[in-house]
Amino acid sequence: MPVNAHPLGISRIRVVYAKRDALRFTGHLDLQRLWERLLRRSKLPLRYTQGYHPRARLNLASALPLGFISDEELLDFWMDEWLPLPEIQQRMTAVAPPGLEIYSVQQVDMGEDALQVQMKASEFVVSFYDPQNILELNHQVEQLLNQTTITITRRKKTYNLRPLILDLETATAPDDAAILRMRLKAEAGATGRPDDLLETLGYPNTAYLVRRTQLLLN
Amino acid sequence: MKAKSLQERVEHLLPAVTKPGRYVGGELNQVVKPWESVQTHVALVFPDIYDLGQANLGIAILYDLLNQRVDVAAERAFAPWVDMEAAMRDAGIPLFSLENKRPLADFEIIGVSLPYETLYTNFLNILDLSKIPLYSKDREIQHPLVIAGGQAVFNPEPVAPFVDAFVIGEGEEAALDIVDAHQAWVESGGSRQDLLLRLAQIPGVYVPALVKVDYHPDGKIKTIEPADSRVKLPVVKRILAKLPPPLSRFLVPNVEVVHERVSIEIMRGCTRGCRFCHAGMVNRPIRERAAIEVMEALTAGLDQTGYEEVSLLSLSSSDHSEIIPLIEGLRELLTQRQVDISLPSLRIESFSDELMDGLQSLSPGGGFTIAPEAGTERMRNIINKPLRDAELMDTVRSVFEHGWKSLKLYFMIGHPQETLTDVEAIADVCKRVLHEGRQIAGGRVRVHAGVSTFIPKPHTPFQWAAFDDPTAIDAKLTLLKDALRGSKIKMTWNDPRASLLEAWLSRGDRRIAPVIERAWRKGARFDAWGDQFRFEHWESAFAECGLDPDFYSFRERDLDEVLPWDHINVGVRKSFLQEDYRLSLSGGVRPDCRDQCYACGILTAFSELRRAQPGGGWKCP
Repeated sequence: MPVNAHPLGISRIRVVYAKRDALRFTGHLDLQRLWERLLRRSKLPLRYTQGYHPRARLNLASALPLGFISDEELLDFWMDEWLPLPEIQQRMTAVAPPGLEIYSVQQVDMGEDALQVQMKASEFVVSFYDPQNILELNHQVEQLLNQTTITITRRKKTYNLRPLILDLETATAPDDAAILRMRLKAEAGATGRPDDLLETLGYPNTAYLVRRTQLLLN
Repeated sequence: MKAKSLQERVEHLLPAVTKPGRYVGGELNQVVKPWESVQTHVALVFPDIYDLGQANLGIAILYDLLNQRVDVAAERAFAPWVDMEAAMRDAGIPLFSLENKRPLADFEIIGVSLPYETLYTNFLNILDLSKIPLYSKDREIQHPLVIAGGQAVFNPEPVAPFVDAFVIGEGEEAALDIVDAHQAWVESGGSRQDLLLRLAQIPGVYVPALVKVDYHPDGKIKTIEPADSRVKLPVVKRILAKLPPPLSRFLVPNVEVVHERVSIEIMRGCTRGCRFCHAGMVNRPIRERAAIEVMEALTAGLDQTGYEEVSLLSLSSSDHSEIIPLIEGLRELLTQRQVDISLPSLRIESFSDELMDGLQSLSPGGGFTIAPEAGTERMRNIINKPLRDAELMDTVRSVFEHGWKSLKLYFMIGHPQETLTDVEAIADVCKRVLHEGRQIAGGRVRVHAGVSTFIPKPHTPFQWAAFDDPTAIDAKLTLLKDALRGSKIKMTWNDPRASLLEAWLSRGDRRIAPVIERAWRKGARFDAWGDQFRFEHWESAFAECGLDPDFYSFRERDLDEVLPWDHINVGVRKSFLQEDYRLSLSGGVRPDCRDQCYACGILTAFSELRRAQPGGGWKCP
């Protein structure tokens, strides 16, 4: 048992995983249920919430918009007994659905803040289905960054996207296609969405694929 | 630039439609075989959206069975929702399977599930989206074979011209036989007609192109005869002598569907003989699964899926001979795992205190549902659901005494010989129930009345009866609404026009097929969805086809009339149904046939099968 183990054997496990393929069309709430079921199938000694309909206690770092794929997502869950980490990973991998790849599991301190609270920013790469001219794309990005206010309306609420853009640049993929890289703020109440940014640039959500490449925590 | 694959084209348009996860597959336990690795590709189609179809147990069973064969790949396809259909038509994308993302036209066999009539327009829409000719007669050797099965096709005639072959009855064995026949036909290099002839030799398989129907000048059917000397009529439905081990390997959807649970059928068939009930007549004989087998399958299913709910399916769960051990087993399961349990279709007569205790412990806080179906003893005798008013109230009291606070009562209006007194009695029963409930369990008691309209169904003792007049139905509904106003009883009812459509289609003949086509061309789709149903398309379709819809709905048939489904034998003799219909007119009843056989014909029809495979859990005396 590790030194920092809880006296009762309760442990908090952090999972790093990728979400791809068909799973890109599984939204946040459905993903939550998918994880609950995956964990039940794994038969790990999960810690359940109290109450009439007890549920496995788990915590997803940051909602990934529908249609995006991700190389790095984070999840915390709690167990009542301690088990070796390789066994935990092996048991989860054995029952994972296609498109969900578990990269690593680690034990984290029980006292850490919830993942959502630790979230600072997300990094994304955008590739376009139809080839884009990199010079034009550069120009568009420059114009966008020169604005001080980018007003976005989503579900009847408006917000200013500009201060949420921490970084935005064009690049070329190995196949020479022009792509976009961005780092957007992802804090409670201040989360920038790549699809909003792309819509401002004139791209509908049927024109590109977004990949989240990294989550940045505190 | 390289051409985009079908899968890429689909993925590119998905972000623009609602709930795109319906169209991508990729679920846990999905079976994807390399396309070229198998001889026969079967597309299993449920003609409604993924959300409903993926929860359908019939499709799941066939998917599992067919994929167990190394020479077969079974893949799934569902109806796209209206926004996706528009996007697909706009982009010229054909309907495709979820596994290999192949157009349906690439499959050798398409198997369509038709559990209810209001899927017929969706079925045509699916053929059209797949670029497969709608009519069987227009299909050529390169087109897939279109098979249909399910509860609705015990009267196959309304959709007969669109279907190459029907599976009448249980599909588990017939599906494999059809694949075998198809493979043998491919090897033989025969014509499409040869294929149809081969299929017609399979027990339970009906090939409508090989059967011709002649009519009297008044529109009634004169004869139904084989169009080929090698075809034998009637077609006797297919049943399994013994229910196979239940499915425990379920697909786990990645997006929400209507039921996400381990569903196990605990028995097939019903012995109660309610005269309005299609399922109770066509699914005979009664066959049970042993409690131990059910419990093992539930456990395995939960392990496989990680689901948090289990459901036991049957037409009358409380009649299962091992219902108490089953509930014991469920209670044990409940203490081991965090799961919800649903056990629908309980009969009022079969409640014991022991059963009530067991049920309450399984679902504390849940609601209770009972289905008296009619308000008076007289009416309940006519429909052969005999139940004394006193028994009904005893059960109701027992429900409240055992701690339930919420009770749902199901009734039907429009029964044969129904009077306004019978309808008023429905409201009275509800009020008495609420009163009793409040006496026992206090002011928090809730009573809900669900009122549907009786629709005469083929192969039932009421198949000759007239569907109630719409003005009469409206008057009855108004009467009930008035009677329950201010009573705190919540009442829900069906759209009488939706019931009328079902009445037309369920007892239709082949001449209805062009009406279905025309209604579909006008835009009828998703007729089972209240917000999509367009009654006016159906009215004008009938008019344009020169067919009188009243002929199908409001006409009482003569007992000796040739019915459109007379060539389909479900094992229950027509003479038995006639006798039972006559008996209903005098209020005569035939209680549970577990105790006493009324010689419906099912035992005679399948005596050989039962002898050849004994031990099938038949509960006929």
